[in-house]
Amino acid sequence: MHTADLIEPFASAVKDPAGPVRQWKAARGGKAVGFLLTDVPEEMIHAAGFFPFGITGGSIGLEKTDAHLQTWACSYARSCLALALGGELDFLDGLIIPQSCDTTRMLPGIWSHVSPLPYLDHFRLPRQVDRPSARRYLIAELERLQKGLEQFSGRPIEQDHLKRSIVLYNRNRALFRALFDLHAQDPSLISNRDLYTLIRGAMVMPRERVNGLLAALVGELKGRLKAEGEAEHLRLVLSGTLLEPVETLDFIDEWGGAVVGDDLQNGCRYIEADVPEAGGTLEALADRQLNRIPSAAYDIQKRPRRGFLADLAREKRAQGVIFLHLKFCEPENFDYYDNLQAMEKAGVPAMRIETQFGGASLGQLRTRVHAFLEMIGGEGR
Amino acid sequence: MTERNAFKTAELMKEMMARYYAAGKESISKGIPVAWVTAVFPVEIIYAAGLFPYYPENFGAVAAARKVADRLSAVAEARGYAHDLCGYARCGIGDAYATEHPIGEILKPDVLFCCNTQCGSLLKWFEVAGRFYKAPFFLLDAPQVGFETDGLCKRYFVEQLHELIEFIEKLTGNRFDYDRLSAVLALSNEACRLWNEILETAALKPAPFGFFDACFHMAPIVTWRGTAEAVDYYRALKEEVEERIEKGIHAIPGERYKIYFDHIPCWPKLRWFSELFASHGALVAVSQYTHSWAYSFDLEHPLESLAESYTHEFVNRCFDYRVQRKINFMQKYGIDGFVLFSNRSCKPNAFGLYDKRRLISERTGLPGVVFEADMSDLRFFSEAQVLAKLDPFFEQLSSD
Repeated sequence: MHTADLIEPFASAVKDPAGPVRQWKAARGGKAVGFLLTDVPEEMIHAAGFFPFGITGGSIGLEKTDAHLQTWACSYARSCLALALGGELDFLDGLIIPQSCDTTRMLPGIWSHVSPLPYLDHFRLPRQVDRPSARRYLIAELERLQKGLEQFSGRPIEQDHLKRSIVLYNRNRALFRALFDLHAQDPSLISNRDLYTLIRGAMVMPRERVNGLLAALVGELKGRLKAEGEAEHLRLVLSGTLLEPVETLDFIDEWGGAVVGDDLQNGCRYIEADVPEAGGTLEALADRQLNRIPSAAYDIQKRPRRGFLADLAREKRAQGVIFLHLKFCEPENFDYYDNLQAMEKAGVPAMRIETQFGGASLGQLRTRVHAFLEMIGGEGR
Repeated sequence: MTERNAFKTAELMKEMMARYYAAGKESISKGIPVAWVTAVFPVEIIYAAGLFPYYPENFGAVAAARKVADRLSAVAEARGYAHDLCGYARCGIGDAYATEHPIGEILKPDVLFCCNTQCGSLLKWFEVAGRFYKAPFFLLDAPQVGFETDGLCKRYFVEQLHELIEFIEKLTGNRFDYDRLSAVLALSNEACRLWNEILETAALKPAPFGFFDACFHMAPIVTWRGTAEAVDYYRALKEEVEERIEKGIHAIPGERYKIYFDHIPCWPKLRWFSELFASHGALVAVSQYTHSWAYSFDLEHPLESLAESYTHEFVNRCFDYRVQRKINFMQKYGIDGFVLFSNRSCKPNAFGLYDKRRLISERTGLPGVVFEADMSDLRFFSEAQVLAKLDPFFEQLSSD
């Protein structure tokens, strides 16, 4: 199959996220458990026999939430609730909301009243990850989460199943990382837009199918990688909570830029850090969570986010950083100034774009992205 | 709390606050570490360890009440801190960078201790401040507790208290003194008991004391809980409240209704709100906010007891628990209606209020309203918009 054919199922899943899950439910008669991005152990949902469905947000109907969640709340949270209120998540039998900020801390209560589900859990993550107590607590919380899933499915999660799901997801992340590397070496192999479409699509597709397609794609692209090494292109790092709007990537593609790293929930933070395959499964899932790259919600003292971003830019030889920030994201807004200082100190030009689900002005965004790329030395195509 | 009705004890407050700020400055010259703490932090440990606890939130509230929050915020905003961040944090960060300090300079920390029972904003603010002041930062992490408690959060918190004590021992070079902790906890218990007995007089009809009085008199329970000064203060205040009951002096003239208010007041408009409610014969009698400091520590099990008290605080509980808690207050205080403040600076208190209003009215039959503003920043306050919400509420009260 050709590259375009291999990417097409992901693009169609992004366009119609309900498609694959509806098909799966019709064929298997199983249940779907959704989750907000992305601090949840999907492996556990999968091992319980459910379809793990990542709610990637939407851009229409946000006003439906006005009676439940303030207009000055994070637009990702508002857009997810809007999808539920609009009946667009009616295939979900359950939902896990990871509590990683004040909005996700309050959302489960609202959701349970305005869009009730047979199963709704709040995964209460530790907010410090540096001391031994965090790991012990997280293991206990994962055990609690597991019991809830088992109660909902009516059967225990077999250790073997969970180990198999862990292997499946590790394989998935490894494939994604391979694709990311290929893209960073030569963005003409796969565009920025396509790369992130794969990640976004995977969140709503059966993982077994995803891995098959990605393996074929890696093989196909490797064959096309030029022997003489890396192509010349503008190298960028993206930083923020979620990649929104996705058109940002088109504007970078148009200019011939390549995203070579990020710390986004629906980007590298999703595909980096594997679950150890040896030892206890809950311990392993906890270790992955604790070893994920820092974000505004988890500013790890041993691995501070600013240092991480500066190192990332240096290692990837990035010529610029774009802070892609969701409006009203308080954790991100607290971090921004110091992140920016770290970039200045590292000598990496940076730009901030404030955006939101359901309200981005694309024309303006295009102009700004292009102006930044031009400033940092892009030729343009 | 009209001028005519001012408490004598208010003078004592001024004296004590002056002493507190002087003690802060003195700590620096004596080499006692200044420890930033959050309002719902087990400060008993800090007192027992002999550090000087400083409350940046109090700084934010004072800046707000003196109507300079926007000026300090502007300094932070010029650095790229967005105006939708917690108003207290913007005041604190703004003052750190400011060359002018309209309410005096915020005390620089040698170490920062944060407990996120209240919110994630404090955690992020303290992280920022830790970097700015180049001081170590320690988080006591409190994951949310559900309707039923499952012990997970408490166990985690006890473990962290041991980590905290170890951290402080390394910082000070002294062994932690558990006997001293016991003594501090006993003082906290006494201050909390007195404070809550005072708050409960708001249930009398008519009442000598209400929410706006509580807002004025709450600084000691927040900042001196664990000291003899706090006990002395609330003993004096309680005596005065009892004297008022005897003499028939009431919080507002002609009390007709009792109101439940959620949560932090709008500090720069405290007077305006108190007069507005009083003009309708409505006494704001109770708020979960001022009832936050109602601890009763078990001296036999100090760490377990601290963990339970500080993690099970209402603000760290789930939606349904908090709805029930509000209803319990409404029943206990004989409430006629409730007003919920959708505070832009306080997401964990604001988010969910729209549905809580509906549910509480359905379950109690009481009229209720949600209004929008900010606890510190007047740029987000519109008198007309607040009145557009509250006027129909007062009409509803009088028609019921």
